[in-house]
Amino acid sequence: MTCRSLSYSSCLKHVYPHEGTLRNNNNSMASHGLIYDGCNFFRQRLVLSTLSGKRVKIRNIRSKDDNPGLRDFEASFIRLLDKVTNGTRIEINQTGTMLFYQPGLLYGGTIEHECNTQRAIGFYLEALLMLAPFMKNPLRATLKGVTNDPVDPSVDLLKSTAIPLMKQFGIDGEGLELKVVKRGVAPGGGGEVLFRCPVRRTIRPVQLTDPGKIKRIRGIAYSVRVSPQMANRIVDSARSILNKFIPDIYIYTDHMKGANSGKSPGFGLTLVAETLTGSFLSAEMSSIPQGQGDPVLPEDLGRNCAKLLLEEIYRGGCVDSANQSLALLYMTLGQQDVSKALLGPLSPYTIEFLRHVRDFFQIMFKIETRKPLDDKRKGGDKVLMTCVGAGYANISKSIK
Amino acid sequence: MEDAQKEQKKHQQKHSGPKAERKKSKRQGGATEEKDERRRNPKAFAVQSAVRMAKTFHRAQDLKAKKHHIPVVDRSSLEPPPVVVVVVGPPKVGKSTLIRCLIKNFTRQKMGDICGPVTIVSGKKRRLTFIECSNDISTMIDLAKVADLVLMLIDASFGFEMETFEFLNICQVHGFPRIMGVLTHLDSFRNNKALRKTKKRLKHRFWTEVYQGAKLFYLSGMVYGEYQTQEVKNLGRFISVMKFRPLVWQTSHPYVVADRMEDLTDPEQVRVDPKCDRTVSLYGYLRGTYLKNKGQVHIPGVGDFSVADVSFLPDPCPLPEAQKKRALNEKERLLYAPMAGVGGVVYDKDAVYIDLPGGHIHQEQEEGRPTTELVQSLIGTHSTLDAKMAASKVSLFSGTAALAGGDVDEERGKSASPGPVESLVWDPEAKRERRKAVFMEEEEEAEDDDDDDDDEGSDDEGSDDGESEGEEEEEENVEVKEMLLEREEKTDRKQRTEEVPPVKRRKAEEEEVAEMPAFADSEDELEMSEEDREVIKGEGLISELTSEGEGLTSEDESGEEKKQVKKRDAGPGDSGHCSEAENGDSENESMEQEVSITKVLGKEGKKSKVRQGEIKDGDLCYETAGALRWKEGLTQKASEAFLRQQRAAPNLRKLVYGTVVEDGAEEDEEELGGMFKVSRPDTVKRHRADLSDCSRFPPDAGRDWDLDEMLDSIRDCFVTGKWEEGQDAAMLLKEDEELYGDFEDLETGTLHQGRNQGDQEDSDEEQEEQLVKEDEVQKNKRLEKKRRLKERFNSEYDNEDATYFDDLKEEMQKQAELNRTEFDDVDDETRVQYEGFRPGMYVRLEVPSLPCEFVTHFDPHYPIILGALGPSEGNVGYLQTRLKKHRWHGRILKTRDPLILSLGWRRFQTVPLYHIEDHNGRHRLLKYTPQHMHCGATIWGPITPQGTGFLAVQSVAGTKSSFRIAATGVVLDLDKSVTIVKKLKLIGYPYKIFKNTSFIKGMFNTVLEVAKFEGASIRTVSGVRGQIKKALSTPAGAYRATFEDRLLMSDIVFLRSWFPVSVPQLYNPVTSLLLPAGQKDSWTGMRTMGQLKHDLGLRNKPSTDSLYKPVVRVQRRFNPLHIPKQLQKALPFKSKPKQDQAKAATPRHLQRTAVIREPHERKVAALLSALSTVSNYKSKKAHAAQHAKHKDFLRQKEKQEEDKMKRQKEARKKLHRMMGQKEKKKLKSSLKGTGQDD
Repeated sequence: MTCRSLSYSSCLKHVYPHEGTLRNNNNSMASHGLIYDGCNFFRQRLVLSTLSGKRVKIRNIRSKDDNPGLRDFEASFIRLLDKVTNGTRIEINQTGTMLFYQPGLLYGGTIEHECNTQRAIGFYLEALLMLAPFMKNPLRATLKGVTNDPVDPSVDLLKSTAIPLMKQFGIDGEGLELKVVKRGVAPGGGGEVLFRCPVRRTIRPVQLTDPGKIKRIRGIAYSVRVSPQMANRIVDSARSILNKFIPDIYIYTDHMKGANSGKSPGFGLTLVAETLTGSFLSAEMSSIPQGQGDPVLPEDLGRNCAKLLLEEIYRGGCVDSANQSLALLYMTLGQQDVSKALLGPLSPYTIEFLRHVRDFFQIMFKIETRKPLDDKRKGGDKVLMTCVGAGYANISKSIK
Repeated sequence: MEDAQKEQKKHQQKHSGPKAERKKSKRQGGATEEKDERRRNPKAFAVQSAVRMAKTFHRAQDLKAKKHHIPVVDRSSLEPPPVVVVVVGPPKVGKSTLIRCLIKNFTRQKMGDICGPVTIVSGKKRRLTFIECSNDISTMIDLAKVADLVLMLIDASFGFEMETFEFLNICQVHGFPRIMGVLTHLDSFRNNKALRKTKKRLKHRFWTEVYQGAKLFYLSGMVYGEYQTQEVKNLGRFISVMKFRPLVWQTSHPYVVADRMEDLTDPEQVRVDPKCDRTVSLYGYLRGTYLKNKGQVHIPGVGDFSVADVSFLPDPCPLPEAQKKRALNEKERLLYAPMAGVGGVVYDKDAVYIDLPGGHIHQEQEEGRPTTELVQSLIGTHSTLDAKMAASKVSLFSGTAALAGGDVDEERGKSASPGPVESLVWDPEAKRERRKAVFMEEEEEAEDDDDDDDDEGSDDEGSDDGESEGEEEEEENVEVKEMLLEREEKTDRKQRTEEVPPVKRRKAEEEEVAEMPAFADSEDELEMSEEDREVIKGEGLISELTSEGEGLTSEDESGEEKKQVKKRDAGPGDSGHCSEAENGDSENESMEQEVSITKVLGKEGKKSKVRQGEIKDGDLCYETAGALRWKEGLTQKASEAFLRQQRAAPNLRKLVYGTVVEDGAEEDEEELGGMFKVSRPDTVKRHRADLSDCSRFPPDAGRDWDLDEMLDSIRDCFVTGKWEEGQDAAMLLKEDEELYGDFEDLETGTLHQGRNQGDQEDSDEEQEEQLVKEDEVQKNKRLEKKRRLKERFNSEYDNEDATYFDDLKEEMQKQAELNRTEFDDVDDETRVQYEGFRPGMYVRLEVPSLPCEFVTHFDPHYPIILGALGPSEGNVGYLQTRLKKHRWHGRILKTRDPLILSLGWRRFQTVPLYHIEDHNGRHRLLKYTPQHMHCGATIWGPITPQGTGFLAVQSVAGTKSSFRIAATGVVLDLDKSVTIVKKLKLIGYPYKIFKNTSFIKGMFNTVLEVAKFEGASIRTVSGVRGQIKKALSTPAGAYRATFEDRLLMSDIVFLRSWFPVSVPQLYNPVTSLLLPAGQKDSWTGMRTMGQLKHDLGLRNKPSTDSLYKPVVRVQRRFNPLHIPKQLQKALPFKSKPKQDQAKAATPRHLQRTAVIREPHERKVAALLSALSTVSNYKSKKAHAAQHAKHKDFLRQKEKQEEDKMKRQKEARKKLHRMMGQKEKKKLKSSLKGTGQDD
């Protein structure tokens, strides 16, 4: 009787060893790959595959779709992975519905990538944030494309939440930087982002159990190729809601002009709440891209964004919902010590991420529900995630 | 002589006087006097020089800091695995004897052949695993990687042997375990002095190899073929108090030294294809660090495998329970060595037997001897995680039900009857051989029959019958007995009694598989009950469950039935099943859809489990009755549960991981045989699978942030909200005031009092009745105050001189504490899922698809190690390493010669390329390793973390070379590509020369090639530098080049370039364990070119240019020097070429004519010459005489002169003396004179 609790998911079977190089010597290497179906959670799978060294096969990518196969943005993402790694083998079948990915070693260095404008840079950057500390050389990536769109986390959001989160895991120093050089909103794009990250051999275990109280709210209201007054209107409306809670609010207005303003008009707002213990909760909202729906009023956008922030605060935790998987990944890849993080409710993306983490690293998290203490004025239920790190060490980093 | 022998004067001790008193006082209280030397003589200890003081302080600090190591988190487990003691040494040095003696010392048991690891309990807190290391270098390498302590046996009568040093070097590379030398054969020394000298010599050499002061133990001699008891006891004490340092590789990789091996392959499959891949389970203590399930392992000598399943088993050799007594009692001195046949398990060719001598069983049961306990625990070890979960659930019930205990006793009494055990058929050795071949089938069949009685009927009998025709009669007997045994075994396992019949080990696995298809009729009801239970269980309401269980057990009578309940509990227990109630409302729509799928699947899974549970026992009525009772009030419970669930947060663990498990269960079902097909709503799944990949968490539409109560619900998340009791600033201020409120201003003399106290005093005066109450309050406050003060003091005191190092250490300590405590309250089954299997656990690893040779050629003398591989350590790539040829290895190593490396867990053959880094960072290929220098080596091999050491040997077969370790090194860098270059010189010749421009041909072949090299610098042999300019159309490959000087046609032009070389991708694991027994140390891989040529008798045909030929030199001819006329004219005479010819021969007429004498004249001339000769002689003689005379004269003269000088000197001396005396007299007289004058 096999042990069921530890068996793999249905969409996941052991791959028969690939008929490639590794099978030449009869039993030299027994590294098995994983098989998945569908294009969802594409990034997670490839990122975890790269980190764990396990190859992965993704089948049935939009096989029932009118337009089957990989999309351009996914191809662009694969190309980006190819740029930061050395020795990666990628095989895509004729129709693009199947992808075989054998990861190489993370190389890093200076790269420049033209991100496909179907998705924002955040789409690509989220994966890079996961990979960057484990490279051979410090990463200096210049990503070009859409900096802000309504679907993906914007660069501003990642800058204000993911970067401080990385610092808590010991990935800090002056090498860590995320800069918006040019802003370009969907659909035209034309933005440019510089991301630099130092490399680390090991990741520190963390105990993020106390979210602390929110001491200040900051934000960026940006506008490109529209009237600069838009940003001010957003700020006023957002403040009108947030002022009920805390007076320390400052929302910068960022109006980029000329060459730095990309190709399409748009505006938006990113709000970040900082707590006493240095955790950041964020929310953002951006205007509907040109030609994809009815335009929104900046006042509405500001108010809605503020409400999103309140929602995020209600969810709470030490890590905001956009960065849950990043935090969990770093916890997984820590030394073999107990790490804890208090999160808000797990997003579907995070839940799938947890499953993938188990597939690739055999790490399970202890998930406990924590109710806020005393009265009910501290938001919703929290989730305490506990895990023992995989004892992962950056094998790319060279010693000399 | 006499003086020397004369007696010395003895020392007279003073009995009185100050000295005697001083001594006396010293003797009495000397210590006290010396102690306050500092106080007594402060000047002597005063600071003389500030600089010196600073220096000493600095030095002291330096020394202190030097002692620091980088603190690491202590990850050792509470119950550590047995210490691996590896006994090494050359053959015939006494390894087995020593192990036997040590085992006897610790356990009072005698071992025969030391075969495989032997685990013993050596003390209250320590267990030891002894492994003997043979002389084979592969074994030495493998064991050096897992050893905690090495006992290095050295034959003192012979001295050190190469094996010793080889092993030491292996250890140095793979992390240095603790090493203790043991000198044996010391009784062969007749001469005591020689013995002492040898000991000293060996000790010092050992120290230089290990470290100064390393422990070397002496075993002086043998008594009746064993070492002396006292000495062994001492050695045992040393071993049991020894501390071990954590080694980097060991602490970062889990590993198992297998002490038991079982072949799980289907015997039928083996029969059909004897060479089929085998599934093998390996047992052993987990060491190193946490082991994750389903990981990859490397078995040195076999290869890489992925583990199908890991489960932990009860410790076969447990430490004694915590007791206060000092020594272990006889029961606790356990010995566990299944490979050696101790502990009741015997290894046979392809099966394992638990063997108990029949005569002893009865006795042993009554006595409760440790061996029986062992076997008993072994019986239980087959159970996997699931089964053990079932067991763990049992405890929930058994604690409450008193009936259970009675039952157990009853069962025990029954099974204690010796009948079936005594009359075992396969006890005597004579039968074993025959049974071994048949037994498995028999037993299976027996079991099948057993099942058939209960089942509706199965038709597997036919196949089995054919095989065992010959022994039908016996078989029948056996069958009956088997059935009996079977029954008993089951009960035993359940009850954990001590009685155990001999049972073949692998049986247990198949039992359950065989029992699967049964009982279709009761399915529905059971399923219902099961599901209902699920609903409740899903809530995580264990209390409720237990209460239910209690009710059940109390009502049911027989033990059999209880077991059923347990089994049923086990089903859902193994991990979270996602039930509808939980997930239904907890998630948004997409999630809900998924849940509904899993619900269906879950049902199916439960069915099968229920079936399994039931089949154990035939009884159905009890089961249904129990289930029916279960159902009482179910709807109410369910609704309650649902309500509670609505309020509570969803059980996230099940949400996240549970669904996945369900899917897995479904898969199993499908494999079981198409009965349980589930029509799965595929489209939904696919839809989800193809959704857009976005990390956004959409906000909950249910919450409306326009409402005031919503806003209110997060009010306290802000600093402006309400604070907790301990953090509120206002509260803290108030408390502080109470604490520090009252103080006395010393300057003014006024007394400030805390407000509270003042009030208190006032109230005292006013209100008497409240006094008591107030007192109470005040007392509490005072206590509180005191506590806080103390706390503050403590924290400040401790942090007084806290350095960075201390902080770091404290942080590590905290982390270690957290690691220990975090999962303490979780039961082991769940815990292993979170953190993996802990080191110290006895685990069973199931490894599929092992080559059949592993089983067929299994030899327990060779260690089987399962080393787990970290993430991405299972891949191959290029490794850049730093390597140094070992100083003692005879020859340097050649690039591209295959080399066997031991790196990480692995031993493999690969083809290294040696290179060295030039100062511009270029890696230049070397043909050979440098003699005494590090060089780079790039290999194609398994990805291993940087900083891992490795060693290289040229061959693992035999001991041909004097020192087998060829090189050592360390991994520096991993990559998927290489950048090694070798030098390439391209040569060309000028064919046309202008002033500084030349046309060069012969270097390239095409215009394109030239185009690639435009601008490259070239050079002639004579050192004229130049540059390639442009290709010429004809001839192909020719180009125009400019030089700094004019070339000659005879010049050779060359271009220096670098050519990248590729590393051959050879990774050939050393599969020494797969070789037939007796040949395991003769593995040969790829041969070097030299070996190949030698073996095939081939000789290289050398290039004729390389052959040595006699040097033939042609005579050089020089043309005469020609000086132009003009120049000649201008030259000074001295330098002018002399024009005059050499003198011609004297003309004839000028030559003198020869004179021919007459005979007479000739006579005269002869006479004259004779006369002159005589006179010449005479004069010469006279001259000599004269000379001698003169010489004599001169000597005389000299002597005279000397005498004269002597005389003169004498005279002078006399004169001077006289003069001096005179002078003295004069002086004296003058003095006298003056004196007289006065």
